Amino acid sequence: MSGANDTADVPIKEPSAADEFWQGVRDELPLMFGVIPFGLVFGVIGIESGLTSLQTILLSSILFGGASQVVFAQLWAGGVPALILGSSVCVINIRHVLYSASVASYLQHLSLGWRLLLGYLLTDEAYAVSIRRFTDGCSGKFQHFHLLGSGSLLWASWQTSTIAGVVVGETIPESWSLTFAIPLTFIAIIAPIMRTRAEIAAAVSAGILAIVGQSLPWNSWLVIAALGGIAAGWLVNRHNNSKRRKQ
Amino acid sequence: MIWFMMVVTGIFTFGTRFIMLSRVASKKLPAWLVEALNFVPIAVLTAIIVPAVLIDPTSQSLSIIGNPRLLAALIAIAVALITRQVITTIGAGLATLWILKWLA
Repeated sequence: MSGANDTADVPIKEPSAADEFWQGVRDELPLMFGVIPFGLVFGVIGIESGLTSLQTILLSSILFGGASQVVFAQLWAGGVPALILGSSVCVINIRHVLYSASVASYLQHLSLGWRLLLGYLLTDEAYAVSIRRFTDGCSGKFQHFHLLGSGSLLWASWQTSTIAGVVVGETIPESWSLTFAIPLTFIAIIAPIMRTRAEIAAAVSAGILAIVGQSLPWNSWLVIAALGGIAAGWLVNRHNNSKRRKQ
Repeated sequence: MIWFMMVVTGIFTFGTRFIMLSRVASKKLPAWLVEALNFVPIAVLTAIIVPAVLIDPTSQSLSIIGNPRLLAALIAIAVALITRQVITTIGAGLATLWILKWLA
């Protein structure tokens, strides 16, 4: 796929900082096919939800997380209480703790400035490509530049596509149903990764709770469905593990 | 108020990314928490997908029979499983929706 072998062919010479940075950029490139349309759609949705252009654009750098930004805009448009809006965004973004824990051993020795910057850039897409680099054993002491490269490309394309979405958003007719691209994007993310019974249990429970909970006040169905889905997946996983241990 | 919410949720989100790099938090997460966090993307995204597909945007009620978004979503799932590409999945889903709306 990408040029991960470029540097592996020359094991004697350790990759330089620039090597690592551009490797990160190259490894991140294929993901742009998903990120740029998503950013465009978010820009359109932000405006449709009644956010100003400035709010929509700044949300992309302040929150810097696609799903949570969409939910922020939609719940804001729905006039949901601040506490529900806040907890919905937080539940969606809590998964980053997992990424943070996973890269910590590779970045722990860096200065505070580096750790703050790389923490900010630690999104799903940048994590996905850079953790592969960290664990492949070929990267040297400049490996953190790989995350800087992948994260920078993601950040720049996310901001640019959001701005483009804001600019063209007002000219796109509603009959195009462009907001439907959001659930479609999420389908593309989760359909291929659903494998285990526990994952299917998590999805089914979350889906049912999201429908049953529609009449609950303040759109609280999202938090309830998410937590219910996580609990269901976790319980099925536990159950399977204990059965395996007994065998 | 909206600016306040943007900043608060932004700080929280940054916190979730930085916390394990901070040297303040304990080095290792408990195993049960890691197991639970693994299910966050699937649970959250499904909770967003299902109502977006099944709840009619104008009547705000459950719609299954004759719902063009349901068929578009099923086609998108099939395309996602085959191609594993975001762009083809969005394309197939939107194209299906447009065709069904045009036929209706």
